[in-house]
Amino acid sequence: MKSVRFFAAGFTAILQISIAELAVADEKLASAHVFEVPENAEAILDRYCYNCHDEEMQKGDIQLDKLSGLEKPKRLDLLNRMQEQIYFQHMPPKEKKQPSEEERKALLAVISKELGVYEASTLEGKLQKPEYGNYIDHQKLFSGEYKDVPAYTTDRRWLISEFIFNAKFQRILGNQTTIGDKGKKFSVVGSKKLQGVSLANPFLLPKTVGVRYYANEDLTGGHLSSMLTNAQDVSKFITDVQVPKSKGKYLPAIMEIIAMEEAHTATITSRRAFLQSHIERLCEELYGDLNKAMLPTFVPVVLQPLPELKEGEKYKKAPMNVSTNMLESLGAAPLVYHTLTDSKFASMSDDEFRAYCERVWFYRGDHERTIQSRMALLREYVPDFRGIAVEQLKRHKKIDYKPLADDEMAAIHEAIQKHRKKGYHYNTLIETCVDDWQQSFAKERKDAGPPSPDVLTKLASQLSLLMLEREPTSEENADYVELTRSYVDKLGQRKAVQKLIQTILLSSEFAYRSELGAGEPDKHGRRMMSPRDASYAIAYALTDQSPDAELVAAAGSGRLNTREDYKREVERLLAKRNVRSLIDPVLEDKSWAENSTDMPIRELRFFREFFGYPKALEIFKDEKRFGGDRLDQATNRVVNEADRIVEHILEKDKNVFEELIGTEEFYVFHDGNNEAMAATSDRIKRIYEYFKDKDWQNFNYEELARHTDFLRKNPMRSINPDNLKSGNRSGDGLKLFKKSLTSITARLDKGQKDAAPFDMYRGYGSDFMTGENVAMLWGYSKDNWHWSANQPAKVPNRKGMLTHPAWLIAHAFNTETDPVHRGKFVREKLLAGSIPDVPITVDAQIPEDHNKTLRSRLAMATENKNCWHCHISMNPLGNTFEMYDDFGRFRTEEYLEYPEHLISKRPDESKDRNHLLDLRDIYKTLQVESSGHLAGTRDKSLDGDIKDAVDLAERLSKSRVMRQSFIRHAFRYFMGRNEFLSDSKTLIDAEQAYIENGGSFDAVIVSLLTSDSFIYRKPIEN
Amino acid sequence: MLSRRNFLKTSALGAGAMSLAPSFNQLFAAPSGVGTGIPKRFIFIRKSSGLVPSENALMNLSAKDKALDDAKQPFEADLSKHELPKWLRGLDDHKENMTILQGLSAKMSENVHYSFSSVMGCFKSNRNTLSAIKRTTIDFELAKLFPSPFGHVELSFADGRTGIVSGYSAPAPQTRNYCYADPNTARSELFKSVLNPDAVNSDNDMLAFLQGKEGMKDSGFKGHEVKRQEAQVESIDKIRERNKKLISISRTLADFLPTLDPVHDNGGPDASTPEKQAAMTDVLIAAMKAGLTNVVTYTIDDLGTPITGLPGNETDRVGIHPLGHDEAFGGVPAWMTREQIRISHMNQVKTIVEKLKATPEGKGTMFDNTMVMYFPENGETHHGIGTEAPFIIMSGKNCNLNIAGRYIRLPFLGNEGHKTLGNWYTTLLNAHGNPMEHYGDLDLEMARKKLSQTGAIKQFMA
Repeated sequence: MKSVRFFAAGFTAILQISIAELAVADEKLASAHVFEVPENAEAILDRYCYNCHDEEMQKGDIQLDKLSGLEKPKRLDLLNRMQEQIYFQHMPPKEKKQPSEEERKALLAVISKELGVYEASTLEGKLQKPEYGNYIDHQKLFSGEYKDVPAYTTDRRWLISEFIFNAKFQRILGNQTTIGDKGKKFSVVGSKKLQGVSLANPFLLPKTVGVRYYANEDLTGGHLSSMLTNAQDVSKFITDVQVPKSKGKYLPAIMEIIAMEEAHTATITSRRAFLQSHIERLCEELYGDLNKAMLPTFVPVVLQPLPELKEGEKYKKAPMNVSTNMLESLGAAPLVYHTLTDSKFASMSDDEFRAYCERVWFYRGDHERTIQSRMALLREYVPDFRGIAVEQLKRHKKIDYKPLADDEMAAIHEAIQKHRKKGYHYNTLIETCVDDWQQSFAKERKDAGPPSPDVLTKLASQLSLLMLEREPTSEENADYVELTRSYVDKLGQRKAVQKLIQTILLSSEFAYRSELGAGEPDKHGRRMMSPRDASYAIAYALTDQSPDAELVAAAGSGRLNTREDYKREVERLLAKRNVRSLIDPVLEDKSWAENSTDMPIRELRFFREFFGYPKALEIFKDEKRFGGDRLDQATNRVVNEADRIVEHILEKDKNVFEELIGTEEFYVFHDGNNEAMAATSDRIKRIYEYFKDKDWQNFNYEELARHTDFLRKNPMRSINPDNLKSGNRSGDGLKLFKKSLTSITARLDKGQKDAAPFDMYRGYGSDFMTGENVAMLWGYSKDNWHWSANQPAKVPNRKGMLTHPAWLIAHAFNTETDPVHRGKFVREKLLAGSIPDVPITVDAQIPEDHNKTLRSRLAMATENKNCWHCHISMNPLGNTFEMYDDFGRFRTEEYLEYPEHLISKRPDESKDRNHLLDLRDIYKTLQVESSGHLAGTRDKSLDGDIKDAVDLAERLSKSRVMRQSFIRHAFRYFMGRNEFLSDSKTLIDAEQAYIENGGSFDAVIVSLLTSDSFIYRKPIEN
Repeated sequence: MLSRRNFLKTSALGAGAMSLAPSFNQLFAAPSGVGTGIPKRFIFIRKSSGLVPSENALMNLSAKDKALDDAKQPFEADLSKHELPKWLRGLDDHKENMTILQGLSAKMSENVHYSFSSVMGCFKSNRNTLSAIKRTTIDFELAKLFPSPFGHVELSFADGRTGIVSGYSAPAPQTRNYCYADPNTARSELFKSVLNPDAVNSDNDMLAFLQGKEGMKDSGFKGHEVKRQEAQVESIDKIRERNKKLISISRTLADFLPTLDPVHDNGGPDASTPEKQAAMTDVLIAAMKAGLTNVVTYTIDDLGTPITGLPGNETDRVGIHPLGHDEAFGGVPAWMTREQIRISHMNQVKTIVEKLKATPEGKGTMFDNTMVMYFPENGETHHGIGTEAPFIIMSGKNCNLNIAGRYIRLPFLGNEGHKTLGNWYTTLLNAHGNPMEHYGDLDLEMARKKLSQTGAIKQFMA
């Protein structure tokens, strides 16, 4: 039996030395410490390192023979760099003489010890990061040599993700999100938009390609600070909006505490609203003829005279929509429209009307400036407002006089009579009354005393259940009650409740998901998670939501205690299809309707993050080089359709990895619903068939009107068959008809079977799908596009996700392809290889040469002795993707996009708005070279020279290393950590499950989530 | 100058602090000037509806320079020898500090009507959403270099809102700042520890409870989890300490507390635009003088800001959006009202410059260490396209840049030597201690033409 943990082959012991040193490090020791390179280490350095890194030669500006004399910060920095180079076996370079394993260990021991004195080692932290996952030897992991080592994950608390954060607040605030898709609306989970509050998400995941969510992040002051603001906003929203809105159904204890205050607020609101509408009438009733005498003396406002325009000067009066909006914003709309439509004032002249309004506003007590602005507006627009007054009544309904209850009316009368003074404006009187009521109500609340202990106990319990999803312990409850009472003393009741909400939201339990072992340990010291922790671990493995009702019930009834229990629940969740989840947060921001799935969101998200194609949404590209407009929508579409093909393959769940890498079928401008897409296409086809033999290009209004019946049955966008002269800003019915038919004809006159269902002409709004320029990313010309309503369908020159334009854009620069990172992706993600960090001294730049392809220029920069030992692992793979440009378009020639090579300049924007055209400028080209070389599959039939990316995909799809590499990444994704040799059995079992179940990814997930690595936990001492 | 690597090492703590939620920057940033001597200060004034390059042109340029200016060819002119356009004349006495910078492009930020966070972050997003915020905006980057109790302050009249509302600056990617939307709120929040010490104290009661609860938790944690627990307790402690510090310096702050007219109460619904601007400027200056912040972003208007009480339109309420479409109010042609709006902006700049010049600092005045930048959020016109994004800059003599006293027209976009907004922001960063290679997204036309476009504007570096 092997002992405990296994890091990368051979160096575990050294790391343990380093970690052990942490425990003994203290300031005293550090301050007394003097560093000397021991003799044995000096000898090793001399043998293998000083040749390139001594006083005479300092390659990469590194000098190692003066280590002892370096100041501490420089020494520790250098030692850390040495430690990594030796540990990862990057140094000495491969072509140089290599130290033995013993010599490496000896050197690492010295370095590690010195770093340990100051707790300065960075290697252990790095090894926990996803990008260093591949440093564990791949062959050893799958060899079976370590399959008997008991696997487990350490006891841990895992910081919630940005997605769980959103889901928690969605749940707590009872938010429901609906999204619309071509007229239909449905409810979704996973939205980050919260109605009524704007929260800063402190748990954002890194924007890297690959596994993004790991359990190695700590809760820091940064998280806590953001959560403080969030907690303040949320607590205020709960007490001031949610609780009153629910009339006590939501967190009833809060309602109980604030009921009196709410009632007082409602009373004051009602009284104030009544007074604001009817103060004049009330005062006339109370004071009769004396009322006028009580009012202040009217003082009219003075307006700036209209200036005379200088000769030649033009004045364009702001249009009606501006003036009506202005009237609204000035708060003048109700009086203006009510008066203009009141029969009592029908005979008023414009001047009389203005004078009337001014007096009303004056006596009410509106500010002089506001009245001035209103009067300035009325000076110019009264006739216009008369014209729209009746229509505006819909928005500004008249408020009829309806007295409040008798006791309320009595209170109002009493207050008016108590406070009214001669010369008061009505508003002054109202606010004086309101102040008086507020003071007396406040006293009433104070006299009623603080909330009872019972209510506070209920409050703590309800808040804990809502926020932490559990009852508080009795001790916790007592603490909360005591704390709330102290808050009440200092802040009053409402604010005290808010503070308690904040307190609970700020507890570490809210921010961490707990995965701790419970119960009796087995013979290896491992314990299964508590049922509650297990329910969250399973729920969060597959979704962002808390455990569903079944999972909660299983945890609460002793049915989450065995491996079989886990299997049952995981399989149930994998099959669950009654919850729709939003897929992409960026597409959500763009209100992209087709952005949801009913499969467990984290299953789909694994592949999104693994491939990293959503990054295409963030690569800023030039529409001119694209050759069409609305690139943004095309990019949204292509990412969304990448999701759709992944979802399609996952739903089939057969040979998933091979399909993802080798499929030749894709969705292109398709929402996944073959039936609906065919119906839309058929409508366009009917229109085409009907008009194709007619002289529609030369129709006049009368001639088109002869086809009214057909157009009624087969509507065309913005064309009113009964009024062909109507239309929109793109033209009238006749013009729009011709535009549409031009576009439709181009889609069907070359023998196409189906018509792509995009807008018939450029315009605003759409009944159709947007993002039709996605066609250009796939190399289709929109006027010669053999679009298929039945998809996914074969697309030429493509094979697998690595040839999908979304992936190609995501792995490209703004204006160029990126063979290095594309190659790195294949090496690390599909061949389980690793690439060392770029040395800090390297300035990675591809040189400019106006007469060479990018591939040639890259070769100039990287095929030298220093660079090639890393680039050999990337370039031969990445170069094969040169058959696609940086938009992912298939090509055989590469444009030399330099001014001196310009052959034909096309307009930047088509004059006739013919959006079927490609507006790319034409440059001289060179032939694309996309051959490459594959090494690393450990399969002789696959390794070797390759023709291009399609050939690469074909070979990768048959590779076992590819399959295992997917499984390693899946392990990291679902476990939230890197794999160790002790996880060997888990990985082997997952691969076996995949094979035995016909290439089922669901089987991989079940295997991983029922493995020892997942279900067993063990504490680590240090 | 620091190397990039050393900078990253030395600024790691500051960077972490500034990525916090906005209202808590105050809690983590170091006190002003600690270890750095006299800080530099930056005031970014964002305006809406474009800044038309021809309206910034000097009045009496030589025929040759005028031809260059009209053709958007590069040249420079000495401001002291030329007459400023009418709207800038309020700053006649400060020409030696002024730069009229023409020819920067901003196509990599949003254009047309709005730019939201993009103009200060140099990224394209096409939307005003959190996920669109690609990086820390330039103001927050500068704030990291010159920490202060508040770190960064954002003031805004956008959309006529009041209170504490969402802003446009970004302390970190996908994070939005909060801003103060009326002078009274800005005053009460910035000087909260003077005006309302109980509010700060009540936070500390809660933190004390949490600290005790987390610290005493007998969770059975071992190894790394124990360190996590300790770190969390320390974090809470730090926030409490900062709160206490704010209370402790409140006496000093009281000396700087600005007085506002009651017309600004409750968001100031009846205050005129010049009154609002003047009051906000007073708060801004007070906050700087009190050392509460060294960086302020001031959105002086956007297309939704209601404007009242402007000279010429004293009794009208005017809208900036209609004015941008040449639609006018009160019989005054739109261009005149637009000019008057800019004059009202310059009145604020003048006040800032003069009040800081009147405040001694070190061997000179506070203004010596201050830069005020006035610029459009969306480029060169009401519907900007970003080929030009003019800046009016007022800089003190210690501002590490060689630009003052000049009208500078840079080569037009797409030509050798052209500079983008990213180059300008990189210049600010490089000149003040951040050796970043380039700030912001690259311009795609420059990239398409393979023209060099990264780094600081070398000729501006002192």
